Amino acid sequence: MKSIWQRKYILSTWAVIAVFIFAFVVQNEPEPYIIEYPAYFGGRFSIPKDNPTTQEGIALGRMLFYENKLSKNNAISCASCHQQKLAFTDGKTFSTGADGLQTKRNAMSLSNLLWVRNFFWDGRAKGLEAQAVFPMIDSHEMNQSLDVTVEKLKETEIYPQAFNKAFGSTEITANKIVKAIAQFERTLISADSKYDQYLSGAYSPTEQELRGMELFMTVPQPQKNIRGANCGHCHGTPKIFKELFHNNGLDSNPTDIGRMEFTGQEIDRGRFRVATLRNIALTAPYMHDGRFKTLEEVLDHYNEHVQPSATLSPFISDVSNEIDGESLALTQDEKKDIIAFLHMLTDSTFINNPKFSNPFKS
Amino acid sequence: MIAKPYLSFASLIILLLFAFNISAQSTITVVGEVLKPLTLSVSSLSKMKQEKVIVEDRDNKEHTFEGVPLYDILDSAGVTLGGELRGENLVKYILVQAVDGYEVLFSLPEIDPEFTNQTVLLATKVDGKALANGEGPFRIIVPNDKKHARWIREISTIKILFSME
Repeated sequence: MKSIWQRKYILSTWAVIAVFIFAFVVQNEPEPYIIEYPAYFGGRFSIPKDNPTTQEGIALGRMLFYENKLSKNNAISCASCHQQKLAFTDGKTFSTGADGLQTKRNAMSLSNLLWVRNFFWDGRAKGLEAQAVFPMIDSHEMNQSLDVTVEKLKETEIYPQAFNKAFGSTEITANKIVKAIAQFERTLISADSKYDQYLSGAYSPTEQELRGMELFMTVPQPQKNIRGANCGHCHGTPKIFKELFHNNGLDSNPTDIGRMEFTGQEIDRGRFRVATLRNIALTAPYMHDGRFKTLEEVLDHYNEHVQPSATLSPFISDVSNEIDGESLALTQDEKKDIIAFLHMLTDSTFINNPKFSNPFKS
Repeated sequence: MIAKPYLSFASLIILLLFAFNISAQSTITVVGEVLKPLTLSVSSLSKMKQEKVIVEDRDNKEHTFEGVPLYDILDSAGVTLGGELRGENLVKYILVQAVDGYEVLFSLPEIDPEFTNQTVLLATKVDGKALANGEGPFRIIVPNDKKHARWIREISTIKILFSME
């Protein structure tokens, strides 16, 4: 028979061991990250069960996003073409890759990607994890296989530790690289523009902004004297983004066939992603080929220069402010009003958020 | 509508060829909670029993849409309709997707004649002609919907799914 004291001693020894084990496990368990967004964005998104968003995963993803070692010439990171100050674009028509050659399409803005399901201008990648692979291995982008990246990161001092914190092991794999970048990208939420402040009742738009907003959201009905630009048909909802693919009449016979290249369907000829208009004043030049340098040129296109084709979007071709009109027929002042509204979509909190900046420069 | 006077004859021919290809090549699939997944083309649909509905479209004019009732298509795919539409089958829904990514949703009772008097139609023709580019080859017509947001154009997929709540 053990005495009561002996029993207490054994029990407390076990307790101490248990606390040590618990502390060890907890230390290695990444801390969940709660993604916050306005209720008006809605919750239609899904995060892969095998890649929960964690503080440590995001921190690693952010490092990788700004890491030049991901490219063949050690000179390009994701952030080269996706610069925070330009709402994660690069201001160029096409970007120059690690092979010195230019990309085929304009670098897209990265914001509110949580709500995107099919990525790129042609929607070819399902989910952020699948998306992240393309630019890393594309010869005109970072031009390096994931196997080489893994080897390069293994030789560093910081990465094995960072992978350990994020995924519970110092082992670096291609899969973990992709997962961490996807986690970081899920946190890039833009929800503090003047338009958001207006939606939450904290900002009173100017008269011009209000006129522009009304035109943006309204379908024109000339029979009823209702004027509109119908932008919201494809760019609407408080997210100012709908996941749609349309031919917006840039060319009658496009050299870049867009989504058709991916689907093989004739009905997709010349269709491209309807881009988010969040921070649009910061993300020039515009369109998949960066052909328009200014928002004025974009408005002129939709108003006066739409090119007919079999796959032209009926939401563009069948809309006019004149009865039986052949173009949108907005006035110069109306175009200016719409551009004033587009400037309301600029989110300076987003482009200055220290959580999204280069972690190697802070 | 935005026809340009300088549009050449050659490009018109090209446009017509593309237009022809769109209709000939396009199919819709019926997948999900079905016993028999279907892939349907304009020609295979034309072999099914046709119905007509006369409704006002967005132009405020009456048009005759012709096609196959959505009920008949789902029935031939083995979807739980009619006598089977009870119990857990009442929380199944129809997700209709278009090539541009647009999506709308119906519950099964909304298209089942034992529940409703309206015929939700998968139309392929309007006023005797094939649906135009940008609208067809396949479009859903929901006669009792005053707002036409569910009259979805350019359909590519019909999915029957269970609500997982």
